[in-house]
Amino acid sequence: MQFTAQATPVFSSSARRPNPLGLIREAVTEIWSRRHLVGYLVRADLKKKGADTVLGNLWWVIDPLLQMTVYVILVSVIFARSQPDYPLFIFAAILPWKWFSTAVGDATVAVTLQDRLIKQVRFPLLVLPTAAVMAGVANFAFGLIPLFAMLVFLYPERLSTLVVFIPVIAAVQLVFTLAIGFVVSGINVFYRDVGNLSRHVLRLWFYLSPALYGPATVHKLASGHPTIFRIIELNPFYTLFTAYRNVIYGTETPDGGSTLPIPPDWGGLAGLLVASLVLLALATIFFKRLEPTFAKVL
Amino acid sequence: MSVPDLPRGVDPAPAIVARELGVRYNLRLTRKNTLRTSFMNLRARANGEREFWALRDVSFKLVHGESLGVIGPNGAGKSTLLQVLAGIIAPSAGTVEVRGQVSSLLTLGAGFDQELTGRDNILLAGAFLGIREEEMRGRMEGIIEYADIGQFIDAPIKTYSSGMRARLGFSIATFVDPDVLLLDEVLGTGDEAFRVKSKARILEIAASAKAVVLVTHDLHWVTDFCNRAMLLEQGRVVAEGDPQEVVDIHVDHSAKARENAPVKPA
Repeated sequence: MQFTAQATPVFSSSARRPNPLGLIREAVTEIWSRRHLVGYLVRADLKKKGADTVLGNLWWVIDPLLQMTVYVILVSVIFARSQPDYPLFIFAAILPWKWFSTAVGDATVAVTLQDRLIKQVRFPLLVLPTAAVMAGVANFAFGLIPLFAMLVFLYPERLSTLVVFIPVIAAVQLVFTLAIGFVVSGINVFYRDVGNLSRHVLRLWFYLSPALYGPATVHKLASGHPTIFRIIELNPFYTLFTAYRNVIYGTETPDGGSTLPIPPDWGGLAGLLVASLVLLALATIFFKRLEPTFAKVL
Repeated sequence: MSVPDLPRGVDPAPAIVARELGVRYNLRLTRKNTLRTSFMNLRARANGEREFWALRDVSFKLVHGESLGVIGPNGAGKSTLLQVLAGIIAPSAGTVEVRGQVSSLLTLGAGFDQELTGRDNILLAGAFLGIREEEMRGRMEGIIEYADIGQFIDAPIKTYSSGMRARLGFSIATFVDPDVLLLDEVLGTGDEAFRVKSKARILEIAASAKAVVLVTHDLHWVTDFCNRAMLLEQGRVVAEGDPQEVVDIHVDHSAKARENAPVKPA
Protein backbone atom coordinates (compact mmCIF):
# COMPACT_ATOMS: atom_id res chain seq x y z
CA MET A 1 0.00 0.00 0.00
CA GLN A 2 1.35 3.37 -1.04
CA PHE A 3 1.05 6.39 1.13
CA THR A 4 1.74 9.87 0.01
CA ALA A 5 1.76 12.55 2.62
CA GLN A 6 0.10 15.12 0.37
CA ALA A 7 -2.80 12.88 -0.54
CA THR A 8 -3.72 12.12 3.04
CA PRO A 9 -6.37 14.49 4.30
CA VAL A 10 -5.48 15.84 7.71
CA PHE A 11 -7.75 17.66 10.01
CA SER A 12 -6.71 19.24 13.21
CA SER A 13 -9.03 20.71 15.68
CA SER A 14 -8.29 22.94 18.60
CA ALA A 15 -9.89 25.48 20.86
CA ARG A 16 -8.84 28.35 18.58
CA ARG A 17 -11.33 29.79 16.09
CA PRO A 18 -10.57 31.87 12.99
CA ASN A 19 -11.41 35.57 12.73
CA PRO A 20 -14.67 36.76 11.09
CA LEU A 21 -13.18 37.06 7.60
CA GLY A 22 -11.64 33.62 7.94
CA LEU A 23 -15.05 32.28 8.98
CA ILE A 24 -16.68 33.67 5.84
CA ARG A 25 -13.94 32.22 3.65
CA GLU A 26 -14.34 28.87 5.42
CA ALA A 27 -18.11 28.98 4.90
CA VAL A 28 -17.80 29.67 1.18
CA THR A 29 -15.31 26.83 0.68
CA GLU A 30 -17.45 24.47 2.74
CA ILE A 31 -20.65 25.09 0.83
CA TRP A 32 -18.91 25.00 -2.53
CA SER A 33 -17.09 21.75 -1.80
CA ARG A 34 -20.33 20.19 -0.54
CA ARG A 35 -22.61 21.52 -3.26
CA HIS A 36 -23.50 17.93 -4.18
CA LEU A 37 -24.66 17.32 -0.62
CA VAL A 38 -26.87 20.42 -0.90
CA GLY A 39 -28.23 18.97 -4.15
CA TYR A 40 -28.97 15.61 -2.48
CA LEU A 41 -30.71 17.23 0.44
CA VAL A 42 -32.83 19.34 -1.89
CA ARG A 43 -33.79 16.30 -3.97
CA ALA A 44 -34.52 14.25 -0.85
CA ASP A 45 -36.70 17.06 0.43
CA LEU A 46 -38.64 17.32 -2.84
CA LYS A 47 -39.00 13.55 -3.05
CA LYS A 48 -40.43 13.39 0.45
CA LYS A 49 -42.80 16.31 0.05
CA GLY A 50 -44.45 14.68 -2.93
CA ALA A 51 -44.37 11.12 -1.66
CA ASP A 52 -47.38 10.86 0.63
CA THR A 53 -50.03 12.59 -1.44
CA VAL A 54 -52.15 11.28 -4.31
CA LEU A 55 -51.33 14.23 -6.53
CA GLY A 56 -47.67 14.17 -5.50
CA ASN A 57 -45.56 16.93 -6.92
CA LEU A 58 -48.54 18.37 -8.78
CA TRP A 59 -49.21 20.10 -5.48
CA TRP A 60 -46.41 22.55 -6.17
CA VAL A 61 -48.47 23.85 -9.07
CA ILE A 62 -51.87 23.59 -7.41
CA ASP A 63 -50.92 25.02 -4.04
CA PRO A 64 -50.09 28.60 -5.10
CA LEU A 65 -53.19 28.61 -7.32
CA LEU A 66 -55.40 27.62 -4.40
CA GLN A 67 -53.77 30.21 -2.20
CA MET A 68 -54.42 32.81 -4.86
CA THR A 69 -58.07 31.75 -5.09
CA VAL A 70 -58.49 32.20 -1.34
CA TYR A 71 -57.18 35.75 -1.46
CA VAL A 72 -59.16 36.60 -4.58
CA ILE A 73 -62.35 35.50 -2.84
CA LEU A 74 -61.40 37.32 0.34
CA VAL A 75 -60.43 40.62 -1.24
CA SER A 76 -62.63 40.97 -4.34
CA VAL A 77 -65.76 39.35 -3.01
CA ILE A 78 -65.79 40.03 0.71
CA PHE A 79 -63.94 43.35 0.82
CA ALA A 80 -65.38 44.24 -2.60
CA ARG A 81 -62.17 45.86 -3.79
CA SER A 82 -61.59 45.91 -7.48
CA GLN A 83 -58.31 45.93 -9.29
CA PRO A 84 -57.98 44.93 -12.92
CA ASP A 85 -56.72 41.36 -13.36
CA TYR A 86 -56.48 40.99 -9.60
CA PRO A 87 -55.62 37.23 -9.65
CA LEU A 88 -52.43 37.96 -11.56
CA PHE A 89 -51.79 41.01 -9.40
CA ILE A 90 -51.57 38.94 -6.22
CA PHE A 91 -50.12 35.82 -7.81
CA ALA A 92 -46.99 37.85 -8.62
CA ALA A 93 -46.52 38.33 -4.87
CA ILE A 94 -47.80 34.99 -3.57
CA LEU A 95 -45.23 33.03 -5.54
CA PRO A 96 -42.09 34.67 -4.10
CA TRP A 97 -43.68 34.82 -0.66
CA LYS A 98 -44.41 31.09 -0.65
CA TRP A 99 -40.74 30.48 -1.34
CA PHE A 100 -39.64 32.83 1.42
CA SER A 101 -42.05 31.63 4.10
CA THR A 102 -41.49 27.93 3.33
CA ALA A 103 -37.73 28.44 3.29
CA VAL A 104 -37.74 30.25 6.63
CA GLY A 105 -39.96 27.55 8.14
CA ASP A 106 -37.77 24.74 6.82
CA ALA A 107 -34.52 26.50 7.73
CA THR A 108 -35.75 26.99 11.29
CA VAL A 109 -35.73 23.25 11.88
CA ALA A 110 -32.98 22.39 9.36
CA VAL A 111 -30.30 21.98 12.03
CA THR A 112 -32.44 20.72 14.91
CA LEU A 113 -34.08 17.95 12.86
CA GLN A 114 -30.65 16.53 12.00
CA ASP A 115 -29.50 16.42 15.61
CA ARG A 116 -28.66 12.71 15.51
CA LEU A 117 -26.59 12.99 12.38
CA ILE A 118 -24.80 16.11 13.62
CA LYS A 119 -23.58 14.13 16.62
CA GLN A 120 -22.37 11.34 14.31
CA VAL A 121 -20.65 12.81 11.32
CA ARG A 122 -18.47 15.82 10.73
CA PHE A 123 -19.84 17.94 7.91
CA PRO A 124 -20.31 21.66 7.41
CA LEU A 125 -23.63 22.41 9.05
CA LEU A 126 -24.21 25.45 6.85
CA VAL A 127 -25.34 23.05 4.11
CA LEU A 128 -28.51 22.35 6.12
CA PRO A 129 -30.12 25.82 6.05
CA THR A 130 -28.67 26.33 2.56
CA ALA A 131 -30.49 23.22 1.33
CA ALA A 132 -33.72 24.37 2.97
CA VAL A 133 -33.55 27.66 1.10
CA MET A 134 -32.55 26.02 -2.20
CA ALA A 135 -35.48 23.60 -1.99
CA GLY A 136 -37.62 26.72 -1.94
CA VAL A 137 -35.99 27.82 -5.19
CA ALA A 138 -37.15 24.59 -6.84
CA ASN A 139 -40.61 25.24 -5.45
CA PHE A 140 -40.55 28.74 -6.86
CA ALA A 141 -39.45 27.45 -10.24
CA PHE A 142 -42.41 25.05 -10.35
CA GLY A 143 -44.70 27.91 -9.40
CA LEU A 144 -43.64 29.70 -12.56
CA ILE A 145 -45.56 27.07 -14.56
CA PRO A 146 -49.02 28.22 -13.42
CA LEU A 147 -47.79 31.81 -13.62
CA PHE A 148 -46.96 31.49 -17.29
CA ALA A 149 -50.11 29.50 -17.92
CA MET A 150 -52.11 32.41 -16.49
CA LEU A 151 -50.17 34.94 -18.54
CA VAL A 152 -50.57 33.05 -21.76
CA PHE A 153 -54.18 31.89 -21.48
CA LEU A 154 -55.87 34.51 -19.30
CA TYR A 155 -53.89 37.73 -19.54
CA PRO A 156 -51.96 37.56 -22.82
CA GLU A 157 -51.91 41.37 -23.12
CA ARG A 158 -49.74 41.52 -19.98
CA LEU A 159 -47.17 39.02 -21.18
CA SER A 160 -43.97 40.88 -22.07
CA THR A 161 -40.27 40.21 -22.48
CA LEU A 162 -39.76 41.86 -19.11
CA VAL A 163 -40.40 38.46 -17.49
CA VAL A 164 -36.75 37.61 -18.25
CA PHE A 165 -35.92 39.76 -15.23
CA ILE A 166 -37.73 37.39 -12.85
CA PRO A 167 -34.52 35.36 -12.20
CA VAL A 168 -32.62 38.58 -11.47
CA ILE A 169 -35.17 39.63 -8.85
CA ALA A 170 -35.19 36.06 -7.51
CA ALA A 171 -31.40 36.20 -7.12
CA VAL A 172 -31.70 39.22 -4.84
CA GLN A 173 -34.40 37.42 -2.87
CA LEU A 174 -32.17 34.34 -2.61
CA VAL A 175 -29.38 36.31 -0.92
CA PHE A 176 -31.81 37.84 1.55
CA THR A 177 -33.52 34.49 2.23
CA LEU A 178 -30.19 32.72 2.84
CA ALA A 179 -29.25 35.34 5.41
CA ILE A 180 -32.53 34.94 7.29
CA GLY A 181 -32.30 31.13 6.97
CA PHE A 182 -28.82 31.01 8.54
CA VAL A 183 -29.91 33.17 11.46
CA VAL A 184 -33.15 31.34 12.31
CA SER A 185 -31.57 27.88 11.98
CA GLY A 186 -28.80 28.92 14.38
CA ILE A 187 -31.06 30.52 16.97
CA ASN A 188 -33.49 27.60 16.91
CA VAL A 189 -30.80 25.29 18.29
CA PHE A 190 -30.80 27.29 21.50
CA TYR A 191 -34.36 28.57 21.56
CA ARG A 192 -37.01 26.32 20.08
CA ASP A 193 -39.42 29.22 20.45
CA VAL A 194 -38.29 30.49 17.03
CA GLY A 195 -40.67 28.17 15.21
CA ASN A 196 -43.71 29.29 17.19
CA LEU A 197 -42.79 32.93 16.86
CA SER A 198 -41.81 32.95 13.19
CA ARG A 199 -45.19 31.73 11.96
CA HIS A 200 -46.86 34.83 13.35
CA VAL A 201 -44.07 37.19 12.40
CA LEU A 202 -44.24 35.87 8.83
CA ARG A 203 -48.00 36.33 8.64
CA LEU A 204 -47.77 39.92 9.88
CA TRP A 205 -44.86 40.58 7.53
CA PHE A 206 -46.93 39.36 4.58
CA TYR A 207 -49.88 41.61 5.38
CA LEU A 208 -47.60 44.62 5.98
CA SER A 209 -45.95 44.07 2.59
CA PRO A 210 -47.69 45.19 -0.60
CA ALA A 211 -48.84 41.74 -1.67
CA LEU A 212 -52.63 41.94 -1.61
CA TYR A 213 -52.50 45.68 -2.30
CA GLY A 214 -50.09 47.77 -4.31
CA PRO A 215 -47.65 50.57 -3.51
CA ALA A 216 -50.23 53.16 -4.58
CA THR A 217 -52.43 52.03 -1.69
CA VAL A 218 -49.45 52.40 0.63
CA HIS A 219 -48.87 55.93 -0.69
CA LYS A 220 -52.48 56.82 -0.05
CA LEU A 221 -52.40 55.45 3.49
CA ALA A 222 -49.08 57.07 4.30
CA SER A 223 -49.88 60.42 2.69
CA GLY A 224 -48.85 63.24 4.99
CA HIS A 225 -46.52 60.91 6.90
CA PRO A 226 -43.34 60.70 4.80
CA THR A 227 -41.41 59.08 7.67
CA ILE A 228 -43.85 56.20 7.84
CA PHE A 229 -43.52 55.73 4.10
CA ARG A 230 -39.71 55.65 4.39
CA ILE A 231 -39.99 52.91 7.01
CA ILE A 232 -42.42 50.93 4.87
CA GLU A 233 -40.05 51.21 1.93
CA LEU A 234 -37.22 49.70 4.00
CA ASN A 235 -39.11 46.39 4.03
CA PRO A 236 -37.22 44.13 1.59
CA PHE A 237 -40.51 42.71 0.40
CA TYR A 238 -41.75 46.15 -0.51
CA THR A 239 -38.94 46.28 -3.07
CA LEU A 240 -39.23 42.61 -4.08
CA PHE A 241 -43.01 42.41 -4.48
CA THR A 242 -43.06 45.67 -6.41
CA ALA A 243 -40.27 44.47 -8.69
CA TYR A 244 -41.93 41.11 -9.40
CA ARG A 245 -45.24 42.79 -10.01
CA ASN A 246 -43.74 45.45 -12.28
CA VAL A 247 -42.38 42.87 -14.69
CA ILE A 248 -45.28 40.39 -14.46
CA TYR A 249 -48.32 42.60 -14.12
CA GLY A 250 -47.44 46.27 -14.35
CA THR A 251 -48.32 48.71 -11.64
CA GLU A 252 -51.51 50.08 -10.17
CA THR A 253 -52.42 53.65 -10.89
CA PRO A 254 -53.87 56.00 -8.24
CA ASP A 255 -57.27 55.96 -9.97
CA GLY A 256 -57.60 52.21 -9.40
CA GLY A 257 -56.48 51.20 -12.89
CA SER A 258 -53.21 49.63 -13.94
CA THR A 259 -50.39 49.93 -16.44
CA LEU A 260 -48.85 47.17 -18.50
CA PRO A 261 -45.52 45.65 -17.27
CA ILE A 262 -42.72 48.13 -16.66
CA PRO A 263 -39.03 47.62 -15.79
CA PRO A 264 -38.32 47.17 -12.07
CA ASP A 265 -36.77 49.85 -9.89
CA TRP A 266 -33.15 48.89 -10.47
CA GLY A 267 -31.81 51.32 -7.89
CA GLY A 268 -33.99 49.86 -5.18
CA LEU A 269 -33.03 46.30 -6.13
CA ALA A 270 -29.32 47.16 -6.16
CA GLY A 271 -29.65 48.74 -2.73
CA LEU A 272 -31.46 45.68 -1.43
CA LEU A 273 -28.80 43.40 -2.92
CA VAL A 274 -25.99 45.27 -1.16
CA ALA A 275 -27.88 45.28 2.12
CA SER A 276 -28.67 41.57 1.76
CA LEU A 277 -25.04 40.71 1.05
CA VAL A 278 -23.96 42.54 4.20
CA LEU A 279 -26.70 40.75 6.12
CA LEU A 280 -25.63 37.40 4.65
CA ALA A 281 -22.01 38.02 5.70
CA LEU A 282 -23.11 38.84 9.24
CA ALA A 283 -25.46 35.84 9.30
CA THR A 284 -22.64 33.56 8.14
CA ILE A 285 -20.32 34.80 10.89
CA PHE A 286 -23.13 34.38 13.40
CA PHE A 287 -23.79 30.79 12.30
CA LYS A 288 -20.11 29.82 12.10
CA ARG A 289 -19.46 31.21 15.57
CA LEU A 290 -22.26 29.08 17.00
CA GLU A 291 -21.54 25.96 14.90
CA PRO A 292 -18.93 24.35 17.22
CA THR A 293 -21.42 24.32 20.09
CA PHE A 294 -24.28 22.70 18.12
CA ALA A 295 -23.17 19.09 18.66
CA LYS A 296 -22.96 19.74 22.39
CA VAL A 297 -26.27 21.53 22.75
CA LEU A 298 -28.47 19.37 20.51
CA MET B 1 -7.75 -14.78 14.92
CA SER B 2 -5.09 -12.83 16.70
CA VAL B 3 -4.01 -9.29 17.22
CA PRO B 4 -2.89 -7.99 13.85
CA ASP B 5 0.76 -7.11 13.65
CA LEU B 6 1.75 -3.74 12.31
CA PRO B 7 2.16 -4.31 8.59
CA ARG B 8 5.45 -3.36 7.08
CA GLY B 9 5.79 -0.38 4.72
CA VAL B 10 3.01 1.48 6.40
CA ASP B 11 2.88 5.24 6.86
CA PRO B 12 4.81 5.74 10.09
CA ALA B 13 3.17 9.09 10.85
CA PRO B 14 0.58 8.65 13.57
CA ALA B 15 -3.05 8.45 12.49
CA ILE B 16 -4.23 10.30 15.57
CA VAL B 17 -2.35 12.63 17.86
CA ALA B 18 -4.24 14.04 20.80
CA ARG B 19 -2.53 16.51 23.10
CA GLU B 20 -4.00 17.47 26.45
CA LEU B 21 -7.53 17.30 25.10
CA GLY B 22 -10.23 18.87 27.16
CA VAL B 23 -13.92 19.20 26.44
CA ARG B 24 -16.01 21.50 28.54
CA TYR B 25 -19.77 21.47 28.56
CA ASN B 26 -21.60 24.57 29.54
CA LEU B 27 -24.53 23.20 31.48
CA ARG B 28 -26.52 26.38 31.07
CA LEU B 29 -26.47 25.93 27.31
CA THR B 30 -26.86 22.20 26.99
CA ARG B 31 -30.36 22.13 28.35
CA LYS B 32 -33.26 22.59 26.03
CA ASN B 33 -33.84 26.24 26.65
CA THR B 34 -36.89 28.33 26.40
CA LEU B 35 -36.57 32.08 26.60
CA ARG B 36 -38.03 31.99 30.07
CA THR B 37 -35.49 29.59 31.52
CA SER B 38 -32.60 31.41 29.93
CA PHE B 39 -33.70 34.68 31.50
CA MET B 40 -33.81 32.83 34.77
CA ASN B 41 -30.35 31.51 34.06
CA LEU B 42 -29.08 35.02 33.41
CA ARG B 43 -30.24 35.98 36.85
CA ALA B 44 -28.75 32.85 38.37
CA ARG B 45 -25.42 33.56 36.72
CA ALA B 46 -24.14 35.16 39.91
CA ASN B 47 -24.32 31.75 41.55
CA GLY B 48 -21.21 30.68 39.68
CA GLU B 49 -20.48 29.16 36.30
CA ARG B 50 -22.11 25.82 35.73
CA GLU B 51 -19.67 23.89 33.66
CA PHE B 52 -18.53 20.37 33.41
CA TRP B 53 -15.40 18.87 31.90
CA ALA B 54 -16.37 15.73 29.98
CA LEU B 55 -12.73 15.18 29.06
CA ARG B 56 -9.64 16.50 30.73
CA ASP B 57 -5.95 16.22 29.80
CA VAL B 58 -6.33 13.32 27.41
CA SER B 59 -3.14 12.71 25.41
CA PHE B 60 -2.36 9.74 23.20
CA LYS B 61 -1.03 8.69 19.83
CA LEU B 62 -2.36 6.03 17.53
CA VAL B 63 -0.46 4.80 14.49
CA HIS B 64 -1.99 3.17 11.42
CA GLY B 65 -2.70 -0.48 12.05
CA GLU B 66 -3.48 -0.05 15.68
CA SER B 67 -6.82 -0.77 17.17
CA LEU B 68 -7.63 1.06 20.38
CA GLY B 69 -10.40 -0.07 22.68
CA VAL B 70 -11.82 2.63 24.92
CA ILE B 71 -13.54 1.36 28.05
CA GLY B 72 -14.87 2.87 31.21
CA PRO B 73 -18.06 3.31 33.21
CA ASN B 74 -21.06 5.17 31.81
CA GLY B 75 -20.50 8.90 31.61
CA ALA B 76 -16.72 8.59 31.60
CA GLY B 77 -16.40 10.59 28.38
CA LYS B 78 -15.90 7.72 25.94
CA SER B 79 -18.41 8.91 23.38
CA THR B 80 -17.26 12.50 23.76
CA LEU B 81 -13.74 11.34 22.93
CA LEU B 82 -14.95 9.75 19.70
CA GLN B 83 -16.87 12.90 18.82
CA VAL B 84 -13.74 14.98 19.23
CA LEU B 85 -11.70 12.54 17.13
CA ALA B 86 -14.40 12.69 14.45
CA GLY B 87 -14.19 16.47 14.44
CA ILE B 88 -17.81 16.79 15.51
CA ILE B 89 -16.95 18.61 18.72
CA ALA B 90 -14.13 21.14 18.87
CA PRO B 91 -11.94 20.67 21.93
CA SER B 92 -12.17 23.38 24.57
CA ALA B 93 -8.52 22.82 25.38
CA GLY B 94 -5.62 21.08 23.68
CA THR B 95 -5.44 19.87 20.09
CA VAL B 96 -6.23 16.80 18.05
CA GLU B 97 -4.82 15.83 14.67
CA VAL B 98 -6.31 13.07 12.57
CA ARG B 99 -4.69 11.96 9.32
CA GLY B 100 -6.76 10.25 6.68
CA GLN B 101 -10.37 9.68 5.77
CA VAL B 102 -12.42 9.33 8.92
CA SER B 103 -15.54 7.22 9.05
CA SER B 104 -17.59 8.01 12.06
CA LEU B 105 -21.10 6.64 11.90
CA LEU B 106 -20.80 6.40 15.63
CA THR B 107 -24.12 4.90 16.50
CA LEU B 108 -24.87 3.11 13.33
CA GLY B 109 -27.72 4.21 11.17
CA ALA B 110 -28.69 7.12 13.36
CA GLY B 111 -28.36 9.56 10.50
CA PHE B 112 -30.67 7.75 8.13
CA ASP B 113 -33.53 9.59 6.52
CA GLN B 114 -36.63 7.59 7.43
CA GLU B 115 -38.54 8.42 4.26
CA LEU B 116 -35.82 7.57 1.75
CA THR B 117 -34.95 4.09 0.52
CA GLY B 118 -31.83 2.23 1.64
CA ARG B 119 -30.21 2.95 -1.70
CA ASP B 120 -30.88 6.70 -1.44
CA ASN B 121 -29.61 6.66 2.11
CA ILE B 122 -26.33 5.08 1.02
CA LEU B 123 -25.80 7.98 -1.40
CA LEU B 124 -26.89 10.50 1.21
CA ALA B 125 -24.51 9.06 3.81
CA GLY B 126 -21.69 9.23 1.27
CA ALA B 127 -22.47 12.88 0.59
CA PHE B 128 -22.45 13.63 4.30
CA LEU B 129 -19.10 11.89 4.65
CA GLY B 130 -17.76 13.94 1.75
CA ILE B 131 -17.36 11.10 -0.72
CA ARG B 132 -17.91 11.76 -4.41
CA GLU B 133 -21.06 10.36 -6.00
CA GLU B 134 -19.34 8.23 -8.66
CA GLU B 135 -17.16 6.68 -5.97
CA MET B 136 -20.17 5.97 -3.83
CA ARG B 137 -22.09 4.43 -6.74
CA GLY B 138 -19.10 2.20 -7.36
CA ARG B 139 -19.26 0.94 -3.79
CA MET B 140 -23.02 0.63 -3.74
CA GLU B 141 -23.21 -3.03 -4.72
CA GLY B 142 -20.57 -4.02 -2.18
CA ILE B 143 -22.38 -2.17 0.59
CA ILE B 144 -25.74 -3.73 -0.34
CA GLU B 145 -24.32 -7.21 -0.59
CA TYR B 146 -22.54 -6.94 2.73
CA ALA B 147 -25.57 -5.51 4.54
CA ASP B 148 -27.56 -8.48 3.24
CA ILE B 149 -31.03 -7.03 3.75
CA GLY B 150 -32.51 -8.33 0.51
CA GLN B 151 -35.47 -6.54 -1.08
CA PHE B 152 -35.56 -3.99 1.71
CA ILE B 153 -32.77 -2.00 0.09
CA ASP B 154 -35.41 -0.38 -2.13
CA ALA B 155 -37.88 0.26 0.69
CA PRO B 156 -37.93 3.33 2.94
CA ILE B 157 -35.78 3.05 6.06
CA LYS B 158 -38.86 3.46 8.26
CA THR B 159 -39.86 -0.09 7.32
CA TYR B 160 -36.56 -1.55 8.58
CA SER B 161 -36.06 -3.42 11.81
CA SER B 162 -33.41 -2.01 14.13
CA GLY B 163 -31.10 -4.90 13.23
CA MET B 164 -31.41 -4.17 9.51
CA ARG B 165 -30.75 -0.51 10.12
CA ALA B 166 -27.60 -1.34 12.09
CA ARG B 167 -26.38 -3.71 9.39
CA LEU B 168 -26.79 -1.15 6.66
CA GLY B 169 -25.12 1.47 8.85
CA PHE B 170 -22.17 -0.79 9.61
CA SER B 171 -21.84 -1.70 5.98
CA ILE B 172 -21.70 1.95 4.91
CA ALA B 173 -19.30 2.96 7.68
CA THR B 174 -16.82 0.25 6.81
CA PHE B 175 -17.16 0.29 3.02
CA VAL B 176 -16.23 3.93 2.59
CA ASP B 177 -12.65 2.70 2.95
CA PRO B 178 -11.76 4.75 6.00
CA ASP B 179 -8.20 5.31 7.18
CA VAL B 180 -9.54 5.94 10.64
CA LEU B 181 -12.63 4.07 11.77
CA LEU B 182 -14.47 5.25 14.85
CA LEU B 183 -17.07 2.88 16.28
CA ASP B 184 -19.27 3.51 19.26
CA GLU B 185 -20.91 0.52 20.91
CA VAL B 186 -21.86 -1.21 17.70
CA LEU B 187 -20.61 -4.71 18.17
CA GLY B 188 -23.73 -5.90 19.94
CA THR B 189 -26.02 -5.21 17.01
CA GLY B 190 -27.61 -7.61 14.62
CA ASP B 191 -27.96 -11.36 14.94
CA GLU B 192 -25.16 -13.75 15.82
CA ALA B 193 -24.15 -14.28 12.20
CA PHE B 194 -23.79 -10.56 11.58
CA ARG B 195 -21.86 -10.08 14.82
CA VAL B 196 -19.28 -12.59 13.68
CA LYS B 197 -19.18 -11.01 10.26
CA SER B 198 -18.71 -7.48 11.62
CA LYS B 199 -15.90 -8.58 13.93
CA ALA B 200 -14.11 -10.11 10.98
CA ARG B 201 -14.57 -6.91 9.00
CA ILE B 202 -13.09 -4.74 11.74
CA LEU B 203 -10.10 -7.04 12.01
CA GLU B 204 -9.68 -6.79 8.27
CA ILE B 205 -9.69 -2.99 8.43
CA ALA B 206 -7.25 -2.93 11.31
CA ALA B 207 -5.01 -5.35 9.43
CA SER B 208 -4.92 -3.23 6.28
CA ALA B 209 -3.12 -0.47 8.10
CA LYS B 210 -6.21 1.37 9.20
CA ALA B 211 -6.57 2.80 12.67
CA VAL B 212 -9.61 1.80 14.65
CA VAL B 213 -10.92 3.41 17.81
CA LEU B 214 -13.85 1.64 19.33
CA VAL B 215 -15.89 2.28 22.41
CA THR B 216 -17.37 -0.82 23.92
CA HIS B 217 -18.52 -2.53 27.06
CA ASP B 218 -17.57 -5.88 25.57
CA LEU B 219 -14.32 -6.50 27.48
CA HIS B 220 -13.63 -9.76 25.63
CA TRP B 221 -13.49 -7.88 22.38
CA VAL B 222 -10.92 -5.51 23.87
CA THR B 223 -8.65 -8.25 25.20
CA ASP B 224 -9.02 -10.46 22.14
CA PHE B 225 -8.80 -8.05 19.24
CA CYS B 226 -7.52 -4.65 20.29
CA ASN B 227 -3.79 -4.15 20.57
CA ARG B 228 -4.23 -1.25 22.95
CA ALA B 229 -6.78 -0.15 25.45
CA MET B 230 -7.59 2.99 27.34
CA LEU B 231 -9.60 3.30 30.53
CA LEU B 232 -11.46 6.56 31.02
CA GLU B 233 -12.98 7.56 34.33
CA GLN B 234 -14.65 10.92 34.85
CA GLY B 235 -13.06 12.34 31.73
CA ARG B 236 -9.50 11.40 32.59
CA VAL B 237 -7.26 8.64 31.36
CA VAL B 238 -6.80 6.26 34.28
CA ALA B 239 -4.86 3.55 32.49
CA GLU B 240 -3.56 3.02 29.01
CA GLY B 241 -1.57 0.28 27.33
CA ASP B 242 -1.81 -3.50 27.22
CA PRO B 243 -5.50 -4.49 26.83
CA GLN B 244 -5.41 -7.25 29.46
CA GLU B 245 -3.88 -5.01 32.13
CA VAL B 246 -6.24 -2.15 31.40
CA VAL B 247 -9.27 -4.44 31.45
CA ASP B 248 -8.10 -5.92 34.79
CA ILE B 249 -7.88 -2.44 36.28
CA HIS B 250 -11.36 -1.63 34.95
CA VAL B 251 -12.84 -4.82 36.40
CA ASP B 252 -11.16 -4.08 39.71
CA HIS B 253 -12.46 -0.48 39.79
CA SER B 254 -15.96 -1.59 38.84
CA ALA B 255 -16.01 -4.12 41.66
CA LYS B 256 -14.90 -1.47 44.14
CA ALA B 257 -17.51 0.97 42.85
CA ARG B 258 -20.18 -1.68 43.45
CA GLU B 259 -18.97 -2.30 46.98
CA ASN B 260 -18.95 1.39 47.83
CA ALA B 261 -22.31 2.06 46.27
CA PRO B 262 -25.03 2.48 48.85
CA VAL B 263 -27.13 -0.65 48.86
CA LYS B 264 -30.79 0.08 48.55
CA PRO B 265 -33.03 -1.96 50.80
CA ALA B 266 -34.98 -4.44 48.76
